[in-house]
This record gives sequence, C-alpha cells and structure tokens, in this order.
Amino acid sequence: MSQFLREYLTVFWFAVLALLLAGLLLGISALVRPNKPTAQKLLAYESGVDPIGDGWSQSQVRYYFFALLFVIFDVEAVFIFPWATQLERYGTFGLVEMGIFVFVLLLGLVYAWRKGALRWV
Amino acid sequence: MISALVASDFATPHVDYHALAPEIVLGVGICLLIVLDLFLAESRKWLVSTVAGLILLGAVLPVVTLGVIGSDVRSMFDGRYVIDNFSLVLKALFLLSGYVVVLMSSRDTEERTPYQGEYYTLLLTSIMGMVMMASARDLVSVFVALEFLSIPAYMLAAWRKRDSKSNEAGMKYFLLGVFASAVMLYGMSLLYGVTGSTRLVDIGQAVTGTDHLVGVQVLGIVFVIVGFAFKVSAVPFHTWAPDVYQGAPTPITAFLSVASKAAGFVALSLLVFLAFPAAKSVYEPFLWVLAAVTITVGNLLALKQKNIVRMLAYSSVSQGGFILMPLAVAGTGDARTSLRAVVVYLIIYAATNLGAFAVVMAVSRKTHSGEIASYGGLFNYAPGLAAVMTLFLASLAGIPPFGGWYAKFGAFKAVLEARTGAAYTLAVIAAVNTVVSAAYYITLMREMWMKPAPDGDESPVRVPRNLVAALVITGVATLAFGVLPGFSGYGAITGLAGAFGR
Repeated sequence: MSQFLREYLTVFWFAVLALLLAGLLLGISALVRPNKPTAQKLLAYESGVDPIGDGWSQSQVRYYFFALLFVIFDVEAVFIFPWATQLERYGTFGLVEMGIFVFVLLLGLVYAWRKGALRWV
Repeated sequence: MISALVASDFATPHVDYHALAPEIVLGVGICLLIVLDLFLAESRKWLVSTVAGLILLGAVLPVVTLGVIGSDVRSMFDGRYVIDNFSLVLKALFLLSGYVVVLMSSRDTEERTPYQGEYYTLLLTSIMGMVMMASARDLVSVFVALEFLSIPAYMLAAWRKRDSKSNEAGMKYFLLGVFASAVMLYGMSLLYGVTGSTRLVDIGQAVTGTDHLVGVQVLGIVFVIVGFAFKVSAVPFHTWAPDVYQGAPTPITAFLSVASKAAGFVALSLLVFLAFPAAKSVYEPFLWVLAAVTITVGNLLALKQKNIVRMLAYSSVSQGGFILMPLAVAGTGDARTSLRAVVVYLIIYAATNLGAFAVVMAVSRKTHSGEIASYGGLFNYAPGLAAVMTLFLASLAGIPPFGGWYAKFGAFKAVLEARTGAAYTLAVIAAVNTVVSAAYYITLMREMWMKPAPDGDESPVRVPRNLVAALVITGVATLAFGVLPGFSGYGAITGLAGAFGR
C-alpha cells in the first residue's frame, strides 16, 4: 500500500466507525422500543406547525435583489478580513489595491441604488 | 505549507504600468461608462456608445506605443502575466474588433434595446477579458481571463429580453459554457497535481506525455483542450453555436464568432506551445481529429442552411477547423510557422467575418429577414452592399486575391511543412473541404447577383454611417491582407506574431 493510500486509511476507519456507531444505536433502539403507531404520533412534534397549502409555494421576487446585494458585501468581507489581519505587511500597495477593490464594489452599489433596486416597491 | 506562506515576507510585486496601460484604460473606462450611464439623461444616452468606442481606441494607443518602443518582453508576477509581441498583436486585434462591434451596435441597440449603458459595459468587460487572455501565462490567469470574457458574453447573447430565441441563446450558451469550464477546471487541477505548478512554462517542462503518471497527464491535457474546444466551437462541441448565433443580437453574434473564438484559440495556442510542447504525442492526434471533423462537419451542415446567420455560424465552425490545423502539427512541424499561421488566420478571419455580419445587418434593415432567399436582387437595389458582401464571401471561401486566401495559404503551409503522412492527409481533407465550402458561399453570391428581389421591392437600403464605417474598416483590411501580404506593416505584424516571450 502506498504512502498516499495509507494516509487515507484514517479516513476509511473513521467512516467505518461512524457507520458502526450509528447502526448500533439505531439498531438497539429499534429492538428495545415498543412499536404502537397512531395517527397522533405522525403529527408535527412540539414546535412544528401543520403544513398549510402546496409544497410549491411562492416567495417575493424582490428578495432576490437583496440576496444579490448581500453578495456584494459578502464578497467584500471575505477578501477584507484576511487582508486586514496582514495590513502592515502589505503596506501602501495593499491599501491601494483594497481601495480599488472596494471602489469597484461600491460602484455596483451605486448602480443598484440609482436603478432603484434598494427601494421596496 | 500554510505556515510557510504566512511566515514569508510579502514583497510588493513589480508593476509595469506602461505594459498594463491597455487594461488600465479599459478598467477605468468601464467604471466611467457605468457612472455615465447612471447620470445621463435619457435623451443623451447615445453618448454612451461614442464613449465606449473612444475607450477602445484609447486602449489601442498604449498597445501601439508598446509595439513601437521595442520588442523586449515585459514580464510581471513571476512570468504569470507577460506582454510580448504575440500578446500585443492579439490585444490590438481584440480591441479593434471590439471597436467594429461597437460601430455595428450603436444603431442596433438604439432601435431594439433600452439598456445601452449595460450593453456597452458588458461588451467592454468581455473585451478586457480577451486582452487579459493574450497576456496570461498561468493556468489561473488563463482561467480568470476566460471567465472574465465569457460571463458578460452569456448575458449579451440573451440581450433581446422579449425574444424567446434570444433567451434560448443565452441559456444554451451559459449552460454549455459553464459545463466546459467545469471540464477544463478538472483538467487544470490534474495538470497542477502532476506538475506542482500553475505556470505554463513549468508545466511545459514537467508534462512529457511519457513518464510515470502518464494516464493523469493525458486526462489533464485532453480535458483542458476539450474545455477550449467548446469555446472555439470545434465539432463535436459545436452544438451551441448555430442556435446562439441565430438568437443573439447580430452585433453580438459577430462578436462571439470572431473575438470570443479568437480568445479561445489564443488560449489553445498558449497551452499547445507553452504548456504541452513535449506532449505532442498526446495533443497532436486529438487536435488532428478535431480539426478534420470540424472542417468537414461544419461545411456539410452549412450547405443545408436556409438562414444566412445559421449558414455563417456553420461556416465559422468550419473556419475554426482551419485554425486548428496548424495547431495539430505544432509539435512535428515548425512551431513558429504554426503559431504565425494561427495568428494571421485569426486576424484575417476577424476582419472578414465582422464585415459579413455588418452586411447582414445592413440588409436586414430593409428585408427584416434572415433567409438566404431574401438576398435576391441585392445587386439591383444595393450594388455597393452586394459588392462588399461578395468580397467577404470570396475571402471566406479562400479565393485569391482576398485576405482569406492568404490565411488559408499560411495554414496549409504550416501543415505541409510537418512532412508526415498524417499532416498530408489533413491537408488533403482541408483542400477538399475548401472546394465544398465554395458551394454555399457562391450560392449566396448567385442569389445576390442573378436572382430578382423576391418581393419585387427594389427601393434602396439606407445604411447608417456607423455601419458604413464598419464596412470600410473590415473591407479595407480584408482586401489589404490579401492583395498586399508583403507590405511592410503587415510583414512586421506577422513577424511579431511568431514568437512568445517567457
């Protein structure tokens, strides 16, 4: 067995262990518990609410814009956080680079704002 | 690995601003276009197209100065972004064909779509991706450039919002493009796994196609080539092309069939010449089959088309096969000849095909039809258009003395110089196909010159000035490349195109 495969052996044993454990617990409880199904027991449990209407429900298309706008800030954050931790190291160059990056994203926000995407019509 | 990255000191990369000037001009220009569109009154929106054209011409300027100053190679980011003669020639090609597309669209978009600002912003973004592709010398920068140029193109293909054909075009282009990207990324990850580097030059040293892990190498090479074969619509990965070309707005069709395709070929040449030079036993047979099948199938399907845009779509598939031809012998033949043949073909094909689409646009303003039969009587009511269209069709068919002839000559020369049985067979297949292709080009010519107008309406066509400018640029280029292949400027361009910098 090559070194490469040997390193993956751990993963394999973990998978086996997980399967064994889950099978064991479910199996024991299936053997031990009494089985008396009633209609009441099939209802949503405690905090659940009985479903009303179709499974094919509609949601506001307007949320889609907000999801897109959220992506702008999300991507911004993803790049800014690691950059901020190493701010001193990157120096002026990094600052200018990040300035350009944020500017381009801001432009996207200005675009959305001018086009009225931020208004809840 | 990660700890090593954190511990290493960050060194400010060297940035050559003159070399990056085309990209900077484009980038700033795109931001400017967005702002301009937002704060411009509706009655002055026509300014946007003018500004877009000026930005493209402004970006050509540094390309010219870089070319004039000297032939030294400017390399940045450890050779991952290189400005050499090859990239300069192609940058100029992308920017100028982009300018012609802007000329073609400025009337079209005013009539059909209200989203001018977004249209030109996306168009320029796509062109910026192509300009980046010409300089990319690393798997990552190649991929980023590819996505940069593709994603705006998906949206542009679907630009006629209310037209179901255009929606179909955008959807098909998007789905197949993304699928191709996925296949290509898988190939790239395999190549990176085998070689341990993303730089094309390093990959070129490590990938030999013979030693251990040869299976992984072959998979990597084939998958990456398949990804770009989608982009250049090589058979059997061409199925999206006719539908997309027919559904997209005509200027965008011209753009996709010329600039986007050229970008795919640029990436293919980069890979073949820089990343896989030692693995010719792997890529050559594969590209050989692709080229032969592409030329033949493209031609046979073009013969049956009744719609001019679909005919030009299949014709462009078949022309793509001719550009694949020198690449299929890149290893056994002379590499410089092959590379030069590819670049020259791309330049001439761009001029010719853009021109043909400009004529299609001009004619459809009157006939409102894309049927080949609707071209009857064109010579009677618009002799100029008929003459120019004949020029473009003759060039596409490879009839001397027009540009297409010289392009095909270069491709055949590159193949014949390889002096192998396979190369000669490919040349014979291509030669037979050249004759076959003349059939559908000549059918259209006959329609224009000899048939009467189908509806008897012989009122002249009013061609807007922008379109005339586009026709003049492409017509002069097509003619000049064919009649004067030896004139000094052109010789310099082809000479420049024959080498990569490292």
